[in-house]
Amino acid sequence: MESAEAPQISGVRSGSSGTCAAEIAESLRFEEEIQSLIVHPNFEASNGSSFTALLGLSGNQAAELLHEHGLTAAASSPAGAAEMWRLRLGGDRAAGELRLPLGCSPTFPSDAAIVESAARFSVFASEESPTSSSGGGISPRLKVEQLDPDSPPSVPVLPSPKTKRSPAKRKGTCEKSKARGTAKKIKRTEEKKDPTKATATEEDTADEKLPYVHVRARRGQATDSHSLAERARREKINARMKLLQELVPGCSKITGTALVLDEIINHVQSLQRQVEFLSMRLAAVNPCIDLSFLDHILSTQCEPGAGAANGREALAWNPAPWSPDSAIAGEDVRRLLLPRQYQVWHLDLLGPQQSSMAWERDATPHHNALPFPGTGTGTSLFGYDSTNSGNLSSDSVALNSELTNPIAKRLLEFY
Amino acid sequence: MVALRFLRALSLVRCSGPGARSPSYRARGIRRAAYACMAASAGPRRAWSRALLRKIRRRPGRGLRRPRAVIRRRRPVGGGDPLEVALRRLVPGGGCMEYCRLLEEAADYVKCLAMQVRLMQTIVDSASHVNSID
Repeated sequence: MESAEAPQISGVRSGSSGTCAAEIAESLRFEEEIQSLIVHPNFEASNGSSFTALLGLSGNQAAELLHEHGLTAAASSPAGAAEMWRLRLGGDRAAGELRLPLGCSPTFPSDAAIVESAARFSVFASEESPTSSSGGGISPRLKVEQLDPDSPPSVPVLPSPKTKRSPAKRKGTCEKSKARGTAKKIKRTEEKKDPTKATATEEDTADEKLPYVHVRARRGQATDSHSLAERARREKINARMKLLQELVPGCSKITGTALVLDEIINHVQSLQRQVEFLSMRLAAVNPCIDLSFLDHILSTQCEPGAGAANGREALAWNPAPWSPDSAIAGEDVRRLLLPRQYQVWHLDLLGPQQSSMAWERDATPHHNALPFPGTGTGTSLFGYDSTNSGNLSSDSVALNSELTNPIAKRLLEFY
Repeated sequence: MVALRFLRALSLVRCSGPGARSPSYRARGIRRAAYACMAASAGPRRAWSRALLRKIRRRPGRGLRRPRAVIRRRRPVGGGDPLEVALRRLVPGGGCMEYCRLLEEAADYVKCLAMQVRLMQTIVDSASHVNSID
């Protein structure tokens, strides 16, 4: 039954039902669903609030209210009905008090007021952790909860009680068709909510921790699983765009995706051009640069690592005509500077050194020994490694006094 | 991190033969070294850095192809948007990614590029400063 209902329900929520026959079929299916709900009254008793209590009506009155409004083909009604539908499923508080007379077919309320109140109360039913209360009109006994974009910790708490509480209750109808265990987000159901609230962090935390992420459609929007996925994707893209906007100077003021993208592209192109230009300048100026200070910097504990480094290098690299000293020194520096997980990567990929040396190798089969002495007392000038930081402190002071090279000084500032 | 790597590469480039090579040849080498340093310091986690290093290392005429099965084209996205296409061309490895991933990689790429440019600018400035003193 559950799997059979899934496509049907999604058909309901697609909002494409235009014919009376379809709506009658939907209502019949809803009736079955309600009956099943009544039959399985394993609702966990929650804070004493139920669906009908939310509406402030008794069960029968609610049913009559639903029944009063006839079948309609309004576009909003499937959405509203879907809200209520989800409300009923998602709200564990919907205890088995919702007793509909078996004969009556639950119809979608067309009254805007009913839909509005259902939507408002659906917020309460879905969410648990009270963060802030939304705008007015809601009675104080109801805690209208919203997802605050600044409170991602609430998000993992939030769906997990839901999933824990009634996994069997989900019946895989709405939820399975929607939250396929992939990247869906928990959204707010507020009236006329701004669709571009940043929920990217919530999405990330929710995705990591939970198999289900229960999605709630916004008011007045299609609740199709496809459109939900698209909306999630769109919001992800918007979040990334905002990040890019912050990176690129002068982009924050620009509105409109196309202009922002244009600006980003221009920026990237200008940066690449700058790299070219600066490399030309460096090539022109290069003979004048005295980079011998690197000799002192780069030689770290070479001897202990020499044997191991040699062996590894022989495996990883093609035999290079350049002296092994530099290889050892390079490897040691890398080992010193890099976090552990990158070292394999660099061994494997050979780092940039060999690649940049590669053209040199091709060009000059024989060249002088590279200026990397095997010994040295200096440690890394730019000491990043936390384990070495203690050692570095004394040495770097000595180094600093030695270094009169302006480049080194400037680069110190750089860091 | 990038600075040290780049300086080392620079010294190697310089060591090849200050008299033998034309500046343009050296410039190309320096540019290549710059991109390689940038990519290496970004780490293997970034798609653009992997693609960039792959592109750089492919250059020295490798005839033999590694038999490693590399899944390259996951989904060659139909580029309807000219801006998106342009961005894909700019970011290394941008042809195979989804749009969302592309934006993410582009952000990281821009950040690293900016840092590299700053570094090179610093070096050039200090070098010319040294020269101008004398």
